[in-house]
Amino acid sequence: MTPKERVQKFFKKEAIDTMPVFSGMGTVTIQAIEQMGVRFAEIHTDPELMGKSAMLSAEMWGFDGVVVPYDMCIPAEAMGRGATLYSDVEGILYPTVPTKWASMDEVELPDDYSTLFSQARMPVVDGALKYCLDYDGGKYAVGGWALGPFTLGGQIIELDVLLKGLAKDKARVTAFLESMTEYVITMVRHYQDLGVDYINIREMGSGTDLLSPRMWKTLIKPNLDKVFAAVDVPVINHICGGTDLIVEMMGDCGADAISVDQKNNIVESRAKLGDDALILGNFDPYKTLVQLDAADVDAAIKACVDGGVDAVWPGCDIWPDVKAENMKAYVEAVHKYGGAATPAVGRL
Amino acid sequence: MSEERIKELLQELHEGVVEYDEERVVAASNAVLAEGFNVYNAVMNGLAAGMEEVGELYDQQEYFVPELLMCADALYAGLDILKPHIDPADVGSSGAKGQVVLGSIQGDVHDIGKNIIKMMFEVAGFTVHDLGRDVPLENFVEEQLKTDSEIVAMSAMMTTTMMGMKKVVEMIKEKNPNVQIMLGGAPVTGDIADLFGADGYAESAGNAVQEAVKMVASLRKLQS
Repeated sequence: MTPKERVQKFFKKEAIDTMPVFSGMGTVTIQAIEQMGVRFAEIHTDPELMGKSAMLSAEMWGFDGVVVPYDMCIPAEAMGRGATLYSDVEGILYPTVPTKWASMDEVELPDDYSTLFSQARMPVVDGALKYCLDYDGGKYAVGGWALGPFTLGGQIIELDVLLKGLAKDKARVTAFLESMTEYVITMVRHYQDLGVDYINIREMGSGTDLLSPRMWKTLIKPNLDKVFAAVDVPVINHICGGTDLIVEMMGDCGADAISVDQKNNIVESRAKLGDDALILGNFDPYKTLVQLDAADVDAAIKACVDGGVDAVWPGCDIWPDVKAENMKAYVEAVHKYGGAATPAVGRL
Repeated sequence: MSEERIKELLQELHEGVVEYDEERVVAASNAVLAEGFNVYNAVMNGLAAGMEEVGELYDQQEYFVPELLMCADALYAGLDILKPHIDPADVGSSGAKGQVVLGSIQGDVHDIGKNIIKMMFEVAGFTVHDLGRDVPLENFVEEQLKTDSEIVAMSAMMTTTMMGMKKVVEMIKEKNPNVQIMLGGAPVTGDIADLFGADGYAESAGNAVQEAVKMVASLRKLQS
């Protein structure tokens, strides 16, 4: 069974040999980037460097799949909001959006979002995905991803305007979020057409650290429902931060799987969603792969499996400057504890 | 002014903030000035006390960030009117103020938590030197030295940006070990704050608000 087949079967809930090691967030590490002889800032603008850094990281640590791109500002950049790449800064900094709209009055939305695929770094993403899909005969699973409509909106317009507007300017904010939903759908269909094996929708700014469950139900869920209904490839509903109060609604959005981070009580979530739900999560990537002693990584991964996840996912992007021994311990532990069937996925 | 009227005005300011009713806060603030009520008392026991309750409502998961932001707008609506009229003598007697250098770390363009903390520091009488967001690391050091601030407060909303805070802590402590450094933001934990050599932390953007509210509450107790 190839890594790609393992991941594909996993999402179909068909029996597999062992738990796949993969994520819906970035898994590029500094060890691969250094092996390529480039800097972190360089891998965001070149499709081959982006794709190669993903594939080398996968090969180096034994991942079954990869995800590109690494930063979340490309769709906003394609809408003319710019990108700060920190090319002159020492160390690791992810690109950010420097010029968000400061009020709803400034918002100008395109009639056809598909015209944006030729803009800014959108073609870099396409090139990187193609690189990964072709790598080593297409052996690895390749994931695409997009921000959820609300989080994407927060990349384009100042988040406080959006948050206050949910209550004070509801009609315009609702219309804006519906347009963002169209943007997300256009993107995920595009990546689906490129041939990705799965798509992660990261509505990460919508957890209950920020929004009430009631607001999530009325303003976030309807748009996510539309996104998930528009995609044929396996799709994941990922939210980080507080999700215990909304996890049942997350499971009812039409996604093939949900992904939560370390703040989620995974045992309770499994009980709420039942054994048929695909649940991915939920270790703290920075703590586990950077802070902990390598000897303690095994227990962190085991806790995820014991809690009832079907695949061990980090709760967020892996911080690229990981400790090599922790990465090895992480992958070894997934293999060690992933041999047995999980609630939703059997074993051969 | 009668005790009853004082109570009424404070209640208007307090409830106006809690119910994020800017018009009500503006009306009450104008009444404070027109009727000669002590402005500092109105700020601390009306507006700030209202924000204290907002923090409790957030803590109880009755309010979430959109409500916090709207309450903050209401509070600022009152502060804009009242702050220019605060008697320095009232502020000077409290003795619980200082200067704070504040900013979101380079690579991080999130500033909601930072802005709410800024507001609370301002309400408490601190002088705030707000560097904004996506702040180059050396700017924190330069601003602290320039202003001789007692506190440097940094926030990072994402794991992918918080590492810069460690460098800033090192740079500042090397120049001036007595500076108190506070870290905040979603990925920051007590362990990380310790690891980075900081003096304090707020567990998340939300808790940063709570911490700021508690800070104001403690200051008010000190001042009462």
